[in-house]
Amino acid sequence: MIQLRLRSDCDGALSPFVTRIANGEPRCAEDAVLAWQEAGVLGFRTGYADFRLRDVTPADIAGDVLLIDPRRQVAHRLIRAASPHNTFLITEQCDQLCLMCSQPPKPHHEDMFGHFRTAARLAPPGAQIGLSGGEPLLHKRGLFDFIDAAFAERDDLGFHILTNGQHFEREDLPWLRKHRERLLWGVPIYSDNAATHDEIVGKPGAFAELSEKLSLLGLAGAALELRTVVLKQNASGLPGLADFITRHLPFAATWAIMQMERIGYGRMNWTRCFFDSSTNFADLGAAIDLMRARRQSVALYNFPLCTVPPAYRDLAARSISDWKQKYLPGCESCSLRARCAGFFEWYRDEDGFMEIQPQ
Amino acid sequence: MKQVWPLRFRDLDDRRTLLADETGAYFLADGDFVDRYARDALTLPDERFLRERGHAFDRTGDLAHTAFLTRWSRRQHVGGGLAYVILIPTLRCDLKCSYCQVSRAPFASKGFDWDEETLERVLGFLDTLPVEEIQIEFQGGEPFLRLDHLEAVATFARRRFRNVRFVVCTNLQNLDDDILAFLAHDDVLISTSLDGPHQVHTRNRTGDTELTRTFHRNLERVIDLVGPDRVSALPTIDLEDPPDPEALISAYEAFGFTSLYLRPVNYQGFARKNHASARSSTDWIEYYGGFIDTLIARNARTGRVMEEFYLAHCLRRILAPGVDSHTDLRNPNFPSGANAVIDFDGQIYPSDEARMLARIRQVDLAIGNVTDGLDPEKIAVLAPAHINSFDPDCIHCPYQPFCGTDPIDDLSRSSRIDVPRQESWFCQRHLALFDLAMELLYSREAAVEFTLSRWLGLEALPEALRPVAP
Repeated sequence: MIQLRLRSDCDGALSPFVTRIANGEPRCAEDAVLAWQEAGVLGFRTGYADFRLRDVTPADIAGDVLLIDPRRQVAHRLIRAASPHNTFLITEQCDQLCLMCSQPPKPHHEDMFGHFRTAARLAPPGAQIGLSGGEPLLHKRGLFDFIDAAFAERDDLGFHILTNGQHFEREDLPWLRKHRERLLWGVPIYSDNAATHDEIVGKPGAFAELSEKLSLLGLAGAALELRTVVLKQNASGLPGLADFITRHLPFAATWAIMQMERIGYGRMNWTRCFFDSSTNFADLGAAIDLMRARRQSVALYNFPLCTVPPAYRDLAARSISDWKQKYLPGCESCSLRARCAGFFEWYRDEDGFMEIQPQ
Repeated sequence: MKQVWPLRFRDLDDRRTLLADETGAYFLADGDFVDRYARDALTLPDERFLRERGHAFDRTGDLAHTAFLTRWSRRQHVGGGLAYVILIPTLRCDLKCSYCQVSRAPFASKGFDWDEETLERVLGFLDTLPVEEIQIEFQGGEPFLRLDHLEAVATFARRRFRNVRFVVCTNLQNLDDDILAFLAHDDVLISTSLDGPHQVHTRNRTGDTELTRTFHRNLERVIDLVGPDRVSALPTIDLEDPPDPEALISAYEAFGFTSLYLRPVNYQGFARKNHASARSSTDWIEYYGGFIDTLIARNARTGRVMEEFYLAHCLRRILAPGVDSHTDLRNPNFPSGANAVIDFDGQIYPSDEARMLARIRQVDLAIGNVTDGLDPEKIAVLAPAHINSFDPDCIHCPYQPFCGTDPIDDLSRSSRIDVPRQESWFCQRHLALFDLAMELLYSREAAVEFTLSRWLGLEALPEALRPVAP
């Protein structure tokens, strides 16, 4: 598993700061150059501070943007230059409690927008950065200001924002329109049946609210990625949801049907929620067929290829972020491995898919 | 519920009525539903059905309203950015087909080819098109009689456009090394005519069994050379002696084709004199329906899937917006330089049929020429007839969002464009086509479901594609 946090030490009196591991000559005060190295330790120097990193090689972290936390003696890899999977965790607060949540909410919020703004400025050219939570739009003012500032400094960046969609307002329309080319909104919808959706997200009235807010995204011409985790609770409703999406959400750029991640509430509720699509793909297939007939884009995230019938495999994306992705021992001999999403690090054979077959 | 979007309706038979709104969302109902709708006496289940399927909304800006606007706007939009230009480097041809719609010129005649100056101006015209993607179709006459012009255009276009494809519409009677070298390029596609069994092809096209054999050999040769994906063929159907559907399909399968496009004799050119039946639509509709029945039964029997392109295309247009790849069926379909025909004499026409009308001197529908450029006044005169959205007949038709217009064909047959739609060949043919498509969509026969799902690239036909009102 790729490390997102590195052991780091520096003067504990310093405030947390953002730095970039320079690729060659430093280009700004935040760029850190390798000053010295010895067994297991790299010494860096920026325009204003020195710090050390342990158990990592210079090649691993070249171009990375780090947040150094002197008090806790760690470096958070905010942006890994070699990876397409970089996400800023905006907040851990959330106003929904989804059954399968992989990142359960916490009550406390720590405002990191200042650091994110510096990190965005230091990001590699053309970076697409994920903004996630919790629910990022609980801090909408700070989030919008951060995005405005980041775009003002860098016209090549884009953000993929995961939000429950509950917090858009009519007065956000001009802002949404202004940035429509550069923001992709990932918004979950679990069912076209309000009661089912509300039960899954743990919030009465959520579906009604979501409908109103999705309409705003449609009016804004925003790029919308609908996201549906398939669960025992909603699997049989997928064909109906597909019909709803083609009729009521035709402006959605794509619909991602996702497999569950066994961590957080997802681990707690695994047996109650996990839907084994490797033994029953009928409703998924019917939903996909309808999307194809009506020519609206659909994708499968987090589905190992062998769990998907061949006719639908071209839709299965390698969606699992590199740092939490793995293959099983049986995958060694599989001819499809190179284009397979694989499994989440925390996937377990004993309560996972019944039909895993090297192809 | 505040509002139901307007619904158009049409009886499929005496029990079933098809209803559709302006976004192309359709459903079946019985006469009682239509009666309740017309008398504003919809029941709660009626209202729930209409609401769930996006035919109704509560207030401006709610999700149902925004979704309808989106679907409606997509039905009005024909994607830009791609030009489709037909070039006629020569009107001469080495065949003399009885139904020739362009009144081709004899092989040895003079004055029916682009001269060097016209060629230069054609290239100059292509250069002005505001697109980076283009499909260039070479027609004739027989375009390979002027391979030199084809090569000049190809060399220019490959340099000028980011994305380019060529289609050569050829009779494939004569192949030589230079032609084969031209065809070997990946961006060159071949379209030819295969009228079916040997005798039919000979009667309609070559008039000589040896020439038909040559054609068959050449067709095999180019399929071997470039693969079946870059070669298409279509049969032109002479209704006075149409081919047996099974024999026609077999002839296509024999060459490895998986799609054919059944085309009626076009009421243009020589066909007017030689094929009086091309005037009437009833015979065509009957033959076509029988052909499709045969095709569907055969697909189910063999497990192989042959597609009839135009019906499959109409089905795809029913199910989704944006299926605009076929320039004969679009709405709107305004004439423009990016969707034009350049004739052997440098005249520019909005469609292939328009050049045919000029050729027989019925009416000059040129929208410009390569010397003076496009004539905006002429385009402005022609444009309003190229959209069906406001036609007084079309606005009552549930098929309007999927359909198109063909004012050029109306002119050809009736010398005017304002005939009642239902009296026009285009409308009669397309009403029958869309009726057939709807019949098939709602059919419960396994054979029909097999063919339709394969045509649409689906594993099974989703139930949601055939809604029925309570």
